[in-house]
Amino acid sequence: MKIEYGRRWQIAVHNSSFNYKGMLIGLFLLLPIPAFLISMMIGTFPLTPGEIVGLMLARLGMDLGYPSVYETVIFQVRLPRVLMAMMVGSILSVSGAAFQGIFRNPLVSPYILGLSSGAAFGAALSLGVIHWLPVQISAFLFSLIAVGAAYFMATTKGKTPVVSLVLSGVIISAVFSALLAIVQIAVDEKSLQSIVFWMMGSMNTASWSKLESSLPLALAGCLGILILRWRLNILALGDEEALSVGMNPEKYKAIFVVAAALAASSAVAVAGIIGLVGLIVPHMLRMIFGPDHRVLIPLSITFGAAFMVLVDDLARAALGFEIPVGIITTLIGAPFFAYLLRATRAGGWE
Amino acid sequence: MKIALYLAGMALCLALAMPAFGEPVELTDNLGRTVTIDQPCHKIVFLVENALNTYYSVGDPQSVLAVGNNIFKSELKMPFFEAVDPDFGQKGKIGFESGLVNLEALAAEDPDLVVLWATSPEAENLKAINDTLGIPVYAVFVTSIDDMYKQVEDMGIISGRVERASDVEAIMKGYMEEVTSVTDGIPDEERPKVYWMWTDVLGTTGRNSGFNDIIYQAGGINVMNYWDNDASYEEHPPVPLETLISLNPDVIYMWYNENLDPEDVINGTDFAGWKDINAVKAGRVYEIENPFLFDAFSPRMPMALMHLAKNIQPELFADLSIDDKLDGFFVEMYSVHYPEYEHT
Repeated sequence: MKIEYGRRWQIAVHNSSFNYKGMLIGLFLLLPIPAFLISMMIGTFPLTPGEIVGLMLARLGMDLGYPSVYETVIFQVRLPRVLMAMMVGSILSVSGAAFQGIFRNPLVSPYILGLSSGAAFGAALSLGVIHWLPVQISAFLFSLIAVGAAYFMATTKGKTPVVSLVLSGVIISAVFSALLAIVQIAVDEKSLQSIVFWMMGSMNTASWSKLESSLPLALAGCLGILILRWRLNILALGDEEALSVGMNPEKYKAIFVVAAALAASSAVAVAGIIGLVGLIVPHMLRMIFGPDHRVLIPLSITFGAAFMVLVDDLARAALGFEIPVGIITTLIGAPFFAYLLRATRAGGWE
Repeated sequence: MKIALYLAGMALCLALAMPAFGEPVELTDNLGRTVTIDQPCHKIVFLVENALNTYYSVGDPQSVLAVGNNIFKSELKMPFFEAVDPDFGQKGKIGFESGLVNLEALAAEDPDLVVLWATSPEAENLKAINDTLGIPVYAVFVTSIDDMYKQVEDMGIISGRVERASDVEAIMKGYMEEVTSVTDGIPDEERPKVYWMWTDVLGTTGRNSGFNDIIYQAGGINVMNYWDNDASYEEHPPVPLETLISLNPDVIYMWYNENLDPEDVINGTDFAGWKDINAVKAGRVYEIENPFLFDAFSPRMPMALMHLAKNIQPELFADLSIDDKLDGFFVEMYSVHYPEYEHT
C-alpha cells in the first residue's frame, strides 16, 4: 500500500495543473528564508526574538542600546554558523544530485569518487602528523587528489565509462581509508580524538573566515551545475543517447565532476564529513518533483540549505550541548532512506 | 639443640627472604577492581605514561619491563626517561593497533603486572590482557587530585617501597600547600571563572574531572560549575560557543596546543565570536606551554598547580618563581637536576 501511496503522490504532482506544481516549486525555492529566520532565533545564548530583530535593525543604523556581546553572538557566532550550514547543505545536495545524474545511479552521493576518504586522510594528516598544515587546506587538497585519481584511473582512450568511474572511486576510497588507518594507528590519543571528531562533521567552528575561504569555490561549483543543469537530463539517458543529440558526454561528465568535486571539497574542508545529505535530499526532491534536473538542481540548492540548517539547529540546541551534525543527518537520513526505498521503488528512478 | 638452632635460623632466613620471592597482596585500582599481585613486582609493563612517571619517582627502574609506544610528545620526554632509567631505550615498546594493544607483543614480555589507562572495567584492552592473557592489570583512571596521591601509594605497594611512596606523597603535598595555603580561603564568588580549553577548543574539563580540582586549588573556579546542564558533570564535555559566551569566563587556560596560541584566541579572525568574553577582553588567555613539566596528572602535579596559580591569581603569587622550584623538585622526586637531568 505504501508503494502505491508514494507513486500516487508523485504522479499526482506531475499530473496536477501547472499552478499547483509551480506553487509547490515556489514554496521549496523560498524555504531557506523561514529556515534562516527560525535558525537565527535558536541558540543557547539567551536572546529574545525582539532583541534579535532589534540587533538586525541596529545594523541598518538604528542604535537601540544593546550590549556589544549581543551583537557578537548574532553576527559573529550565530549568523556565520547558519550561513555555513546553509552553504554546506546546498553544496552537498546539488553535487549529490549532479553525481546521481551523471552516474545514472540512485545510490550515489558526493562522496562516491573517494572525496570523503581523501578529505579525512588530509584532515588526519594535519591533525596528527603535519601540524603546520592547516586542516581546511589539507582536507580540501586531498579530497581533490582523491577525485582526480579516481577520474584518471577510470579514463581510458579519452572515455570515462560510468562503471569504471564507480569502481575506481571504490578503489581510491579504500586506498585513502587504509592511509587514514595508518595515521590513526600512528598518532597519540588526543590527535586520534580530534580526527574522529572531525570525521563526524560539525559546524561548531563556523566563522566568517571559513565561510569566505570556501564560498568562492562553492559558488563556482554550484553555479556551473545550475547553468548546465539541463545537460544532466541528457547525460542521465546514457552516452549513446547524448552523442545522438550532438552532445559530447565526456566533456560534460568532466565539467560536472570537476564542478561538483570542487564545491563538495570546499564544504567538507570546513564542516567535516556530513553523511547522507547529498544522498537523501536529491531523493526527496526527485520523489516529489520527478527526475527533471532543470527543476531538481535549483531545488536541491534551496531545500538542501533549509534541511541542513534545521538539522544543525537540532545539533546545537536540542540538548543544550553540541552534537556533531553528521550524527544527526545520519540518524534522520537512514530511516528516511529506508522509507524511500520501500515507498517509491528506488526513490523515483523507475 | 644445635639442630634446632640451625632449623630456627633457616626459618628466620626464609621468612626474611620471602618479600624477595614475592608475597601476594591485594590492592584496589582506580576502577574499584581488586588486583592481586606478588609484592614487589619485578616485571611491570606500563601502557600509561602518567603511572610510569609516578613509578620512576618511587620504584626500581629495573622493574619496568616494557612501556607503551603511545607516549605523548615522546621526543620532549626522552632525555628525562633516559636519565631516571638508563636502560629506557632498550626496554620493550608495546604497540597499539586502532587503540587495541598488541597482545602477542605483550605476552612475549611475560610481565607480572600491566598498568594501563581504562575508563571502565569492561574496557577492551583491560579485559583482553586480564582475561585472555591472564596477566593482572592495574587500571588507571585519574579524575581527582586524591586519585593522584592514591597512585603514588599504590606504586609504593607494587614496588615494595611503601616508605618511599610516603615520602613522595609528602614532597608533593608540601609543594601543593605552597599554593593551597594561599588560595584555600578565597570565597567562590571572588574566584576568577576559568574555561579550560582542550585541543578541540570547545571541549573542556567538566565538574567531575581532575582539572576541576586543580583549577580550584589554584585559586579559580571551573566555569562549568555555572553551567546548568547535565553535560557539565562529564569529564570532557563539549560546550556550544554561545553558552561559553554567556558563561563569560575571566580566564581561558589552554592545554598544550600545537595549532593554536593564546594570541590566536585574543586576536585571530577565527575567534571573532570570542571577543566579548572577559578573558579575551583582558588578554587573560594562557597556555600550558610544556606538557611534560606541567603534566597535572603525574607526580609533577605541584608544578602544574603553580603554573595555573601564577596566571589565575597573579597578585597572590607575584613572588612565586617556578623556575626556582623546578630543580629542587626534580632532585627530591627523581634524584636528577633540572634541566640537565644530571644525577645528584
